[in-house]
Amino acid sequence: MSGKLSRLALAVAAGLAGFGMVGSTTSFGGPSLSAPQPTVRRLTEAQYRAAIAEAFGPGIEVVGRFEPDMRVGGLAAVGASAVSITPAGFEQYDAIARHIAEQVFAEDHRAELVGCAPGSEDPDGARCAASFVTRAGLRLYRRPLSESQVRGAVARTIAGAQKLGGFDAGLQAVLVGMLTSPDFLFRIDVPARAGARDAIDSYSKATRLSFLLWNAPPDDALLAAAASNSLDTPEGLRTQVDRMIASPRFTEGVRAFFDDFLQLRDIDNLSKDALIYPAFSTTVAAAAREQTLRTITDLLVDNKGDYRDLFTTRRFAMTRALGPIYNVPVTASGWSIYEFPEGDPRIGLLTQASLLALHSHPGRTSPTLRGKSIRETLLCQEISPPPANVNFAVVQDVNNTTLKTTRQRLEAHLSDEECASCHKATDGLGLSLEQFDGAGSFRSTEHDEPIDVSGKFDKVPFSGVAALGQLFHDSPKVSQCLVSTVWRYANGRTVEVSDRPELDTLNASFAANGHRFVDLMRTIALDPRFYLMPRVPLAPSVVAADPQPSRRGRS
Amino acid sequence: MLAERNMIKKLAAALACGAATFATTVALQAANAPTGGVPGTRAFVLNGLYIGGGGDPKGCQAQSPGNFDVYLAMLPPDKRAELSPPGKRGELQKQMWKHFGFRRMRLWPGDFGGRAETAKLPNDVQLHVKPTPEQIRAIAELNGFPKDRGSLAYMDQTIAYSSCTNPYDFPELAKGYVPYEGKFSTGMNLDGKAGSQSFTSPDGEKGVDNQLWRAVGCYKQQQEMNDPALQEKVMLSARSPTLIEVSGIDDPHNDPDVTVRVLTGADPLVRDGAGKPLARASFSLDPDPTLVNVMHGRIVDGVLTTDPADIRFVFREQIIDNLRVVRGAVIRASFRPDGGLDGGLYGYTTLTSYYDMVEHMTQDGADNVGVSCVGIRQAIDRFADGYRDRATGKFTAISSEMRFLAVPAFVVGAAASAGAQSQGTMR
Repeated sequence: MSGKLSRLALAVAAGLAGFGMVGSTTSFGGPSLSAPQPTVRRLTEAQYRAAIAEAFGPGIEVVGRFEPDMRVGGLAAVGASAVSITPAGFEQYDAIARHIAEQVFAEDHRAELVGCAPGSEDPDGARCAASFVTRAGLRLYRRPLSESQVRGAVARTIAGAQKLGGFDAGLQAVLVGMLTSPDFLFRIDVPARAGARDAIDSYSKATRLSFLLWNAPPDDALLAAAASNSLDTPEGLRTQVDRMIASPRFTEGVRAFFDDFLQLRDIDNLSKDALIYPAFSTTVAAAAREQTLRTITDLLVDNKGDYRDLFTTRRFAMTRALGPIYNVPVTASGWSIYEFPEGDPRIGLLTQASLLALHSHPGRTSPTLRGKSIRETLLCQEISPPPANVNFAVVQDVNNTTLKTTRQRLEAHLSDEECASCHKATDGLGLSLEQFDGAGSFRSTEHDEPIDVSGKFDKVPFSGVAALGQLFHDSPKVSQCLVSTVWRYANGRTVEVSDRPELDTLNASFAANGHRFVDLMRTIALDPRFYLMPRVPLAPSVVAADPQPSRRGRS
Repeated sequence: MLAERNMIKKLAAALACGAATFATTVALQAANAPTGGVPGTRAFVLNGLYIGGGGDPKGCQAQSPGNFDVYLAMLPPDKRAELSPPGKRGELQKQMWKHFGFRRMRLWPGDFGGRAETAKLPNDVQLHVKPTPEQIRAIAELNGFPKDRGSLAYMDQTIAYSSCTNPYDFPELAKGYVPYEGKFSTGMNLDGKAGSQSFTSPDGEKGVDNQLWRAVGCYKQQQEMNDPALQEKVMLSARSPTLIEVSGIDDPHNDPDVTVRVLTGADPLVRDGAGKPLARASFSLDPDPTLVNVMHGRIVDGVLTTDPADIRFVFREQIIDNLRVVRGAVIRASFRPDGGLDGGLYGYTTLTSYYDMVEHMTQDGADNVGVSCVGIRQAIDRFADGYRDRATGKFTAISSEMRFLAVPAFVVGAAASAGAQSQGTMR
């Protein structure tokens, strides 16, 4: 095990340093930049599963626990560029790989997935092994194996067959090795052999494109396009981008982005006090996550809508499990679209149970957490964590007979000037959502006191989440934050000063195209800069979408 | 806490066997929140519908005995002592069945029917196809049942002959039966009269008609079930919950003209995270149009009262699948501040539909629950007081009170209120 791990670490390091570019610098008149650096990104769990399904079909189960993703700047997609694999994590990958390999060689799958065996014309199975490794390698490594790679795999199969007692056992061991190889577990750019110094090869392009649009590895057509180098031409690239956006799999790609952007995966670990929120359950939580993703894809993909309308839409994906939370009748037994009437307090993403419940405490709401989330996620602003010695006694006393509403308790808490400086940034937005309890259900009063939902956004006073949604809809900050986030998601890294011109172009394009999310993805996918290895500043110069002083918030 | 759990277990066991009570859920349509539902309509799902009555602590001279109690009393003292311990229940039941000649045979090879042997079948009987009455007679004859005896039981999986299928064949098992003879009982004055058999309600109303409680109110299981605190913790007939829908509400406190529907849900009622019935869930309706009951009603000071109407609903719990028919039924219920509904369904339960439920629990169930099918059958026939059959001159129904608790719900689907439109729209 330790030997494999060492090889893995070396291989990953090779992915970064093997091209001999780290350390050389260049300058564009701004801060000094590094030479082009290939990006190395660990597959997320969803991408791993998609890759196995792409390679071996949906009948192969992926069972096991993955190392948790790390978020950088709020995105796991960016964190994937910064994480390695721990020894414990490698053990998990190894166990998952062994289980997958066992299934591939099991009686019910072998004929389809392996398709050959040693025989009179292939007594040691060398040809069979070469055939399997070539096919599996193309899928798993997202590029053809070199002749030496195939030869090595065949040799290991034959040697393994002797030691392990049979051809299948030997080839199965080789497959486990492939599944634990950095070439599979990481997306590693390979520089192009010709052309610009920062260009990547066609298969690297195909991989970037596929994971951006589908959150999955390239399919046959895309691999074929890479093989023919047609991705290097604008026409060839456009053909593939159009095909992939037209595919139903594009919806999966959009879901993956918003799942990461809104950090919806955290719902898996969400729990609520059952006595306070009896209608909430793990089933409801999962449905709430799905609701948000379906609502988004309904508007942005199916209806090719304006991203900003997500903050004013009354069309919510709905299912029976969510009916009690939303207090609405749900006719269909599966998913359908429920349109809330004019005047109803349910309007826009901000009023969906997923975000409301996720950014609340187990037994009470939290305007601070909600406000912090909105600031950080939807406005790309940074809120610092609270100091360690904060006294939350007043805020947490939900049965306070004098301070009956959360707003009143927070205002009392803000008598501490140090707290007030941060809470002013978060609470104004969060308090406008107070008509939704910690599970996301509507309420008009708290302890029989009417709930005040007034607030200010960008110095503009408003009352209620519908008004806030409209302000978000009209705010350039909101759409610019999305552009910045999509860019970071696509490139797997934070925004640098040198990236600002590209972002300015994207923002202008996004606005000119009616804030259509599909067009934003298309623009990025067609932009030659998306396929370049980045040059990063040698001194930190990360740019926030809306630079503001750090604030703290936790209540 | 332990006692409470035991009580609930016993309650569930009693109902599983169809003990002389039933519970269902009722639902009205549409909730009262700003977001959902049909304006002017409220719906509820019933988590408990149980036989109510009583109130006089001296109403039962003793508790009515179950089958085991009766049979043990028939035995000589030494045999009685031998079979009385709880650990001897199996042997006791075996000897009792042998003594009375009870029969039970499974119709089809398989798991259904417990330890019963499999019946021989005539050639024209197809496996797993419910036999016709003629075929049932032929099966009984082929397997040596007494002449003209043998009925389907246990979800139509067995053919049986017992004190539950043929209660009047075993009058000995009614020995020791005790009726409720108190002066007081909850219920409603259904006929406007205050006769000798009428009760006085705890709040002084005269002429309360509740003969079903008189008939079954001294069974221990019935007394345990008649407990609102307990009923709040249980859900019965949850896979086919009863719904109550009130529509046409202009003023939820006082409205002289509302429409009330009693409906049967096709979706199960489930518990929420606190263990209570999940409120504001959506329910499709049973496709059987005869299970849609429409009543006219009014709301006075927050109390809903309907005009009398014949209604039909189902009670499905474990092996019981019972169509209940209540004639001249009246709903009287209060809207609770928490959005629920609390009240009763008063009327004349037909003897046929009530006893159908009792019979569904089977002889085995009656033995273990501690009731006597014979005692119940004789009692309801004796105390029946409504809807006299012109041909026979006998009453066909018995006055009754069924209490219920309900939480807000939504009625959805094609059979939801005609013309009703939710404020929101499903697309």
